[in-house]
Amino acid sequence: MRSYQERAAAHLSRVKQRNKAGKHCHIFVTDCLLVCVRMTLLETHELTKVYPTVTALDRFSVTIDSGITGVVGSNGAGKSTFLKIILGLVTPTSGEVQVLGFDALRHGPELRQFIGYMPEHDCLPLDVSATEFVSHMAQINGLPRAAARERTAETLRHVGLFEERYREMKGYSTGMKQRVKLAQALVHDPRLMLLDEPTNGLDPAGRDEMLDLVRRTGREFGIAVMMSSHLLSEIERVCDHLVVIEGGKLVRSGPLGSFTERTQVLAIEVDGDGIDEFIARLRNAGLQVVEENHTVLVGIGESRPYDFIRDSVADFGLALVRIEQRRQSLEDLFRPQHAEEEAHDVAAR
Amino acid sequence: MSQRAEAAGSIYDLGYRHYDGVRLGRRQSFLSLYAYSLRGAFGLGRRTTSKVIPVAVVLLAAAPTLAQLAIAAISPVDARIIEPANYFDFVQVTLAIFCAAVAPELFARDQRMRTLPLYFARGLRRDDYTIAKLAALATALLFITLLPQLVLFIGNGLAGSDLAGYAKDHWMELPQVVVSGVIVAVFFACISAAIGSQTPRRAYSTVAIIAVLILTSVVAAVIADTVGGVTLKIVVLLVPFEAATGVIRWIFNASVARETNLGKSGLDLWICFPAVLTVTAITAWLTFRRFRRLDV
Repeated sequence: MRSYQERAAAHLSRVKQRNKAGKHCHIFVTDCLLVCVRMTLLETHELTKVYPTVTALDRFSVTIDSGITGVVGSNGAGKSTFLKIILGLVTPTSGEVQVLGFDALRHGPELRQFIGYMPEHDCLPLDVSATEFVSHMAQINGLPRAAARERTAETLRHVGLFEERYREMKGYSTGMKQRVKLAQALVHDPRLMLLDEPTNGLDPAGRDEMLDLVRRTGREFGIAVMMSSHLLSEIERVCDHLVVIEGGKLVRSGPLGSFTERTQVLAIEVDGDGIDEFIARLRNAGLQVVEENHTVLVGIGESRPYDFIRDSVADFGLALVRIEQRRQSLEDLFRPQHAEEEAHDVAAR
Repeated sequence: MSQRAEAAGSIYDLGYRHYDGVRLGRRQSFLSLYAYSLRGAFGLGRRTTSKVIPVAVVLLAAAPTLAQLAIAAISPVDARIIEPANYFDFVQVTLAIFCAAVAPELFARDQRMRTLPLYFARGLRRDDYTIAKLAALATALLFITLLPQLVLFIGNGLAGSDLAGYAKDHWMELPQVVVSGVIVAVFFACISAAIGSQTPRRAYSTVAIIAVLILTSVVAAVIADTVGGVTLKIVVLLVPFEAATGVIRWIFNASVARETNLGKSGLDLWICFPAVLTVTAITAWLTFRRFRRLDV
């Protein structure tokens, strides 16, 4: 994958060529902005949305860089409200949003030329063909008629729709409809795509293909993607960054790797008689030990007692199956209390 | 991955090309929505069954005009029944049916199919959307309120022996025909839009539009025969058919027959004009408000 600098340089040269051809000046300005802010895609400051009965977002501040970002949270956590504010579909009660260098609240229509949106729900008029609809959507985005048609053909081919694109969408399968939904979000070549649960309702094969398309869009096409999902396995497969929302608040945001960091717990799996004595020896040595499903969990601080543990295993004639430093799993995010309790338990004993 | 997807994969690998061309912005968004909606009003780009009703109704509305032209062409007698001043009397019911068929299509379809978020998440303001849709409906209505009249105007000229003489005698009528046609189209477009946009359910809004446009004149007839007086004057101003008739007669400086509801009310016809403007403004505002407030 090319670095940001290389991509920015390539982008700038494209923009320069275009400018030589004397085409729209404001696009040149926007593109320069895009090159400048390539690193930071989106920034919110104290974003708050209060509905009469519920606070959907509560002083939500986050910075998101380009790449593929997963937005996770349980139902009603505020994911959709967050996406809808970026899209201008919902007006926040207070706070600020900067997207692609635009103030999303003041320059919404200008910004949204460069955004593609794939909603979670059905949104296709079923009595027209995919070609007719996607081409219309491209024109709504400001593309001239001829360009819209050309882009429509290309985009539908990219998402894997061929002859069937001339047929009424009424007869399409869920997978085909999802592809058309993705195509209409991609047809105007956006700089940022917001995908709300893109794999909703798909079978495993369709899910794989959709995730593959999302990954290609983010990695190969160089389009920033924000994708909401409640399936962590999908997020893990596709995303570089993760934003976790709970109860309208930002729980955590960062690269995916940082969510699966090593913990200060060593998991030891041993087999044989004498496990209890082994545990007693560790406890006597002052270590914090918990036994859980044939796995001995040892809290390690600065001491790093690896040699002592190995020797103890050997002394009791146990078979050492596995010894590893535990990693946080993404699932822990959804049961933070449980994870905290576990850590607390280990530390306490 | 399935074999088909792999086969398709080789086509994907032509690579993605970025779009480096112009982006025309809001104006293009607006114009393309207008054109798409106008096409949709007549079912163009849809299956044949979608075209049947709108096209049939337009032909039905044009039938009296075409019949008169046919008679004028074959018979030497100058028997003109349809005049610009009374043209509306012949098409008002078909106009109402057209509104009831097409307005829900234009204003409820995107709500029903949930396409609205896709529009509002693009470079289009909510008011742009409403204006484009209203303009498309009004334009579609011109096919009934104006086009046959223009055909009649030209046809009458051609039927007589003296085209230049006809044009010289009747050129004054042309601006009146255009102005009255446009006013009626906008008036009916706003009323049916205000109703059609309130619910995603097509059946409800179709019935409601028929009720407001056609059944109200039945109410007016009943009141004309029973209560009369000031009540009738107010009712006549509020009933779309009566108010529109009043405005048209006023524009052509024509009188109304004594036995019509309008005639019985004894209303000065010019009052219908501000009444029509007010109703147009209120119903347009209701339509704008609906799309501004709609949670998508």
